[in-house]
Amino acid sequence: MEEIVCDRIFKDYKGKTIVRALDNIDLKVSRGEFFGLLGPNGAGKTTLVRILVTLLKASGGCAWVGGYDVNKDEKKIREIIGYAGQDSERSAYFRLSVRENLLYFAHALRGVPKKIAKDRIEYIASGIGFENKLDRHFVSLSGGEKQAVIVMRAILHNPEVCFLDEPSKSLDPITARRVRRFLKDYARENGITICLTTHNMLEVEEVCDRIAFINHGKLIFVGTPPEFKRRASIREIIEISTNKLESELKLKLLKAHGVINVTYQGNITKLYCEDAFNTLPEVLNVMREIGLKAPVRIAEPSLEDAFVFFVNGGESNGEY
Amino acid sequence: MENIESITSPLRIFYMAVWRNLLTLTRYKVNFLLSVVTSVLWAAGMLLFSLAFDSSMLGRTVGTTNYVAFIIFGISFQSWQGTALWGASGMLQGELSTGQIDYTFTCPFSRYQYIISNIAALAIQDSLFFIPMFSVGLWLTSATLTIHGLLLGLASIVISVAALVQFGVIFAALTLRYRQVTAVFSFFNFIIQMLSGMFIPLQILPVPLQIIGFSIPVTFGMDLLRHYVMGTFTIFNPMYEWIALIVQLAIFSLVAKLVVSYLEGKAKEEGLHYI
Repeated sequence: MEEIVCDRIFKDYKGKTIVRALDNIDLKVSRGEFFGLLGPNGAGKTTLVRILVTLLKASGGCAWVGGYDVNKDEKKIREIIGYAGQDSERSAYFRLSVRENLLYFAHALRGVPKKIAKDRIEYIASGIGFENKLDRHFVSLSGGEKQAVIVMRAILHNPEVCFLDEPSKSLDPITARRVRRFLKDYARENGITICLTTHNMLEVEEVCDRIAFINHGKLIFVGTPPEFKRRASIREIIEISTNKLESELKLKLLKAHGVINVTYQGNITKLYCEDAFNTLPEVLNVMREIGLKAPVRIAEPSLEDAFVFFVNGGESNGEY
Repeated sequence: MENIESITSPLRIFYMAVWRNLLTLTRYKVNFLLSVVTSVLWAAGMLLFSLAFDSSMLGRTVGTTNYVAFIIFGISFQSWQGTALWGASGMLQGELSTGQIDYTFTCPFSRYQYIISNIAALAIQDSLFFIPMFSVGLWLTSATLTIHGLLLGLASIVISVAALVQFGVIFAALTLRYRQVTAVFSFFNFIIQMLSGMFIPLQILPVPLQIIGFSIPVTFGMDLLRHYVMGTFTIFNPMYEWIALIVQLAIFSLVAKLVVSYLEGKAKEEGLHYI
């Protein structure tokens, strides 16, 4: 059964010019799924989430959350969702403790009975290793700790669907891992559907059952993370470990037979090719010609490679 | 070579700061206009205020010469006036700046209810400041005080504050809409102080100003409180003032609901950055 359905949803922001933030999005997320929304900054992920949590009105199309229409059944939707917005790590009462904050939000704003709320606070806090910080004032927490509290707040009332907009943005890798593992288990135990936006590919690989990739407001891909990689990995990758890539070399590499695109990530130059094994000798010739000595290897495309591939439109544009 | 930076920098900071402040001041036109109007009004208000010190005039208009008690009961309403003008808007602005509003607006209750609950909570908190002031007023008027009068006075306060809370919702919405509202609040603060009978009996004001005063939610509440506790004359027949209080409460509630609903609709169209 589908928990989230989008049927040709679009959103225009009216200003001096009309900006189309979302363009006819069709999407279905099943109950209990851990679903990731990927895309570069400004792609429209947050706009889509804000429509689904009833903060924004779509300019057209329909969407349902838990079977309720986002345009007609706002109150019903708000009863069944949890939400942690982007950049919301300051969004609690600074002078209250973590426990007091969570109790207030769960009991006053979500109607969870006090006793149950208190028990859940303990349970969730221990799950993410936060039990010793519950009595600290919110203001005294670090940015990452505050973000963890906001994620706890989003699931405290056991929502049917939980929307998390970049939940691990300011978390350190250890806390991020602990939070996402707990979330995955907690969601499975309680049958919660989770929809999260993220740029963290590790997070996607670790917890997402399926993902959607959005770029320029358009839905480019929906499928599992391995499918996402496979779709991009029609291309294979030759990696040259060099941080010096002269434009002359780049042009020569692009001209080499079989090279589709050349990108640069960190200290690695990546050549996307149809057949890395057959292209490799020609690449080595080009390197020899210009006197570039650097380690070269054929690499398995990562989710991040797939992300970059899709952001670049999946075509050769020769840009870094 | 002359060190130009060290000579020009403080001056540049100064005039750029003036430029920045002027830009901010004039960008929010309602705020700018009311800041000018308020300064003029204060001068006129002070002129009216001086009339109130004429105790014989006070006796003729409201039936008491006990100006101290008269003004103490007026000032005791000040705390709730602050709730209406600053409390809710401050709370919502805080939620906007921290991003908490995103969360609260995805919770299953109406935004109107959320705002009203919070203003009511602030009004209760501010009652702590009302009680000592009110107690002094009661002590000063112990000669005329009866239990029956006290209960009726308190009842008038409750309705009056309820109407003021609705006023607070309207102000909260205005704050969110116009963002820079310090002068707007100062303007209304002045209007309420001068035209509600808080410091000056409404009866001594020119009729057009009295009419404005009648639309302020605390005017009749304050008038009835003084009448029941101090034995002052009321502006109208007390029964009419009770009806006016209830009608005001109904009208302000309706307007507050409409304003929040309008704001919510706009925010949903354009995003919360609209407010």
